[in-house]
Amino acid sequence: MQEKEHIIEIKYLTKFYKGSSVPAIDNISLNINKGEIYGLLGPNGAGKTTTISILCGLFGPTSGNVFIDGMEYQNSSDKIKNIIGVVPQEIALYPSLTARENLNFFGHMYGLKGKELKNRIQECLELFGLEKNANRRIKTFSGGMKRRINIIAGILHKPKIIYLDEPTVGVDVQSRNVILEHLKKINEEGTTIIYTSHYMEEAENFCSRVAIIDKGKVLTEGKPKDLINSKEEYTDLESIFLNITGRALRDE
Amino acid sequence: MQRLFSSIYKEFLVLIRDRAGLAILFIMPLVLILIMTLIQDASFRSVKEVNIAMILVNNDNDSLGQAITEGLYESEFFQIVEKIDGKKITEIQAKELVATGDYKIGIIIPERATDAIRGNVNALINKSFKSFKVPGVKKRTRKSTIDVTIYIDPATSQSFKNSVMSSLKEFTSQLEIEMFFKNFSEALAQLMPDQKPIKFESFETIKYEEVYASTTQDEIMPNSVQHNVPAWTMFAMFFIVLPLAGNIIKERDDGSAFRLKTMPGSFVTIMFSKIFVFLGVAFLQFILMLLVGVYIMPLMGLPQLEIGPHKIALGVMAIASGLAATGYGVALGTIATTHEQAATFGAVSIIIFAALGGIWVPVYVMPHTIRIISQFSPLHWGLNGFYDIFLRGGDLVVVLAETAKLLLFFVFMLLIAIVYNNYNKTK
Repeated sequence: MQEKEHIIEIKYLTKFYKGSSVPAIDNISLNINKGEIYGLLGPNGAGKTTTISILCGLFGPTSGNVFIDGMEYQNSSDKIKNIIGVVPQEIALYPSLTARENLNFFGHMYGLKGKELKNRIQECLELFGLEKNANRRIKTFSGGMKRRINIIAGILHKPKIIYLDEPTVGVDVQSRNVILEHLKKINEEGTTIIYTSHYMEEAENFCSRVAIIDKGKVLTEGKPKDLINSKEEYTDLESIFLNITGRALRDE
Repeated sequence: MQRLFSSIYKEFLVLIRDRAGLAILFIMPLVLILIMTLIQDASFRSVKEVNIAMILVNNDNDSLGQAITEGLYESEFFQIVEKIDGKKITEIQAKELVATGDYKIGIIIPERATDAIRGNVNALINKSFKSFKVPGVKKRTRKSTIDVTIYIDPATSQSFKNSVMSSLKEFTSQLEIEMFFKNFSEALAQLMPDQKPIKFESFETIKYEEVYASTTQDEIMPNSVQHNVPAWTMFAMFFIVLPLAGNIIKERDDGSAFRLKTMPGSFVTIMFSKIFVFLGVAFLQFILMLLVGVYIMPLMGLPQLEIGPHKIALGVMAIASGLAATGYGVALGTIATTHEQAATFGAVSIIIFAALGGIWVPVYVMPHTIRIISQFSPLHWGLNGFYDIFLRGGDLVVVLAETAKLLLFFVFMLLIAIVYNNYNKTK
């Protein structure tokens, strides 16, 4: 019964990039439950992006397995891609196209069409407060507006799992609140969210569970509150993060 | 299919919204084709049409000087300059004027040049009539050859030099023959006084007829436009590689490619949408350049482009060339990691392909090894195909081999892109 709740199972995952003798991720095993907001936290070069890339099917691991809703990329790539939504850290939109044109394109790529797509775009634009700007070109948008459209492009097809890579980086407090509020709503509707961020306070409040990884290994995993309560010297997630990953500066 | 159509529409929107890029895509090839055709027009015209100014210093004042002068004036090949400010040009002046580049060529006929020829002719007649005593013919030994000095600007083309030299040789040998015949007949008249004097008559026994070989009856005159429009059209069409590769790299840099890779659908669908749109651009470029050849070039004093009757063959060649160019762009955009790499490698490789393809210098004058290498240039195949249609009146069957090579090149480039993309997934 327990197994059925896992929407993502990562088993003994290791990844060596060609020409590198150091693994980018080293024998990681994680289970992510349906409906969770799971935070993948770690300093630069910890292995977050490599893990997310494998989970998105961009490339395969050197060893180990990944099961997404019980399926593997080797034999169900398109099926998996239909149930995941990816929101990259970059504003992965076409600046010369309007918000609606961008969403139309990405919606079509997910197989949506006609009235269904039109209604879904309208619904998402309204949800993120962008309906009045739908016909403006992306290049004229503010940073916060771009971030919101960037998220909509990844959730249009109502995916079971959303990967969010630093979704609030570089936006003002108001936009950040709108983004996190709506992501919470989407999560409440049953969508699992995998989230990476460098904002520890945000992660602490937003995530139901987190894993702190460094040098390709999972250092600790659990609910933020449980982790904070696990030792007296821990006051918040940031103190745990600094304690277990160290204070030394990290380069990629 | 929905993904393909949607992707094509997106590519179309991205393309038409970039007004500056669009202008460059269409205006630059037109400027290129007009300038290159205008520049190269002179080399396709006959020397007579170009009418190059030439200095003539005639110090002979006798038959040879007169023959060369008259010959040069009558040929109308050159604009003869003998005086400047009403004063006869000296040899020193002539040398200076050519050295400074004011004139391309200067001919100096030395004093007593005719006497020298005359002496040579007499010596030859004396030798022929050795056993007879011919009064009036002075006994002279054969003199050394006379030097008609020709000053040439180092920047003068070899073909122009050859034209001048062959013209001069023709005038001189004509005079030598006439002189020899005249003196010979005079000598003969003295030996046989009863014989009527023979008059010298020049007649052309062998005539040279210039006929352009063609597979059809349609007579297409080779001229600068017939040569240059297909050559530079091919060159310009291949430059579509740069914006196409740039488009792929930009998509990768801004994260859109990452997002697309996480979506259902294949890399090939995305690439085909780009190929479709950029092929459309290449085809439009081609049509525009043909229209310029037909309607604009005659307004600029250039000959009109004759498209010929095989328009289907022309269309097929244009599409095959466009596909080869877009295929190359897709491969370059997939492999290159930066805009700088794609721009530098793309531009230089197209120039190399063009040079090998015979855009500047005909392949048949290239060294043997280069001629072999040129067989692998897609621009060579395209150019050959267009020449088959524009100059040799070839139809679809004639250009089938070139079309097949261009299509194979397209498939090969696409395979490279797919293999490289798959290789990246395993890195």
